[in-house]
Amino acid sequence: MKIIKPILLLIVLAAAVMLPLLTEAYFISVAITILTFMTLALSWDMMLRTGQLSFGTAGFFGLGGYAGIIAAADLGVDPITGIIIGGLVAGVVSLVLGMAILRLRGLYFAITTMALASVFMVIIRNLHKISGGPSGKVVLSTLFNYDSNKVYWFMLGVALITIVISEVFQRTRIHFAIDSIRADETVAKSHGVNIYKYLIFVFVVTSVIQGVVGATYALQYGFVFPESSFSAHYLLLPIAMALVGGIYSTIGSVIGAIILGLSSEYLKLIMPYGHLIIYGVIIVVVVLFLPNGVYGAIKDVLGFRKRRLEER
Amino acid sequence: MAQSKMFLVSENAVWRNDNMSILKVEKVTKRFGGLVAVDDVTMEIRQGEILGLIGPNGAGKTTLTNVISGLHTVSEGRIFFDGTDITFLPTHKRCHLGIARTFQIARPLKNLTVAENVMVGGLFGNGEKLKDGRKSAIKLCETIGLAKPNEVLDKITVLDIKKIEIARAMATKPKLLFLDEVMSGLNMDETREMIDTVRKIRDTGVTICIIEHVMSVIREITERVIVLDRGAIIAEGPYSEVSQQHNVITAYLGEDA
Repeated sequence: MKIIKPILLLIVLAAAVMLPLLTEAYFISVAITILTFMTLALSWDMMLRTGQLSFGTAGFFGLGGYAGIIAAADLGVDPITGIIIGGLVAGVVSLVLGMAILRLRGLYFAITTMALASVFMVIIRNLHKISGGPSGKVVLSTLFNYDSNKVYWFMLGVALITIVISEVFQRTRIHFAIDSIRADETVAKSHGVNIYKYLIFVFVVTSVIQGVVGATYALQYGFVFPESSFSAHYLLLPIAMALVGGIYSTIGSVIGAIILGLSSEYLKLIMPYGHLIIYGVIIVVVVLFLPNGVYGAIKDVLGFRKRRLEER
Repeated sequence: MAQSKMFLVSENAVWRNDNMSILKVEKVTKRFGGLVAVDDVTMEIRQGEILGLIGPNGAGKTTLTNVISGLHTVSEGRIFFDGTDITFLPTHKRCHLGIARTFQIARPLKNLTVAENVMVGGLFGNGEKLKDGRKSAIKLCETIGLAKPNEVLDKITVLDIKKIEIARAMATKPKLLFLDEVMSGLNMDETREMIDTVRKIRDTGVTICIIEHVMSVIREITERVIVLDRGAIIAEGPYSEVSQQHNVITAYLGEDA
């Protein structure tokens, strides 16, 4: 059993890397979208593991996108440097904001983070000189000049790094800090956990990831636009993916992004716009009948069988 | 030095063996709006003793514990632990200094296993590495009598949950341990076992402050008790003396008793 897991992982990884050589351009663009939302879903889930429901995903996604485009257009840096700048800007802003809003809890924290995207959008729409105002901003040198295979590999790299970070969070002492905070903050601090420090750390890390993804997304098309860059799409879809796949785990978000990403593309082809209905139904059914998500359900079944075998 | 001087000038002259005390609470008041939960309390806990903190329901025992462990900040007064002023220190830093506690209503971390619950104390209260933390947690589970360290928490007895509370607090390697009603809800055999556990902990050099409603336990294991009523200290001394005092009996049973 112990050998099977790494081998399976290697096969999946090899398939993911080889994908551009095996399929056509349309499928690659779908894969890029799935990876983008997968990374966002994972970053949202990483924050959720601390017990804080954050709705700031779209805000930092859009902020990273704007920072990347502005850096590429006005400072003349190459797209990859632009992406790094996008992540850094999201990180710095989240650090400053986090110090204030991470004193809030529960609904108050959720609502405040929800406002972030709107606040960022209003500010950016009014900074005409820097951001291009309501008409958005365009840059000519896009990421790898529209070479979707290279973009795919780049995005795969970003997703893999995020997966590794997520697993590090699950396997080191950070795991015990954030799990105890989620379970009971009073117990956590009474046993020496510096709650505030860990919350800020996780908030900044996840915001940097969201900023990098936002900048990658923006620079791959070469433009940003207030309404679309801060769209609630980049908040709600990742949440749906994490819920469908299973929260509090790395694999959950990955599975959820693949299931919802593929099914939405397929449904779009057989019934344009009608796909949103079925999409909604999938989410409702999963949340109602598989409260731990698909991965949680698989784990429960396997765990149950294992226990049955042990009892014999 | 400055701190000990403060105590010399303080008008309350009960500090006899000054350097023997591990915790000093000086004129602490805690108000919640108009309600005075702890009212001008001055007390000390001596190094190595088992102190009982008793009083009727709502007397402020748990609030006093919360103020000392940092969950509430004082409204007035100062708290000194092991020579440092901890009055305004955040909870996790007080834990690092060596104050640990259990909770009156046991609060196990339900998403972790038995051993992992205990690990949280070791990792963050005592700064252990992950590997050492796991080892020492399993060892602590053994010492305290938790048979299944890798069990999840949904099928575990009340006694075991109380033991997790104590083991998790002990994992932080405390100098002073507050036990908030660890005996309540236990049957006689379990109470006996728990008393032995508390004694064993004291024998490792940990000072213990025990809050309890079960008077037979207080009589048996404490060397000294402090009686609180309506937030204020009304008596202090060995249980056998304190339990005879008129005002203590009145506090528990009412004027006509």
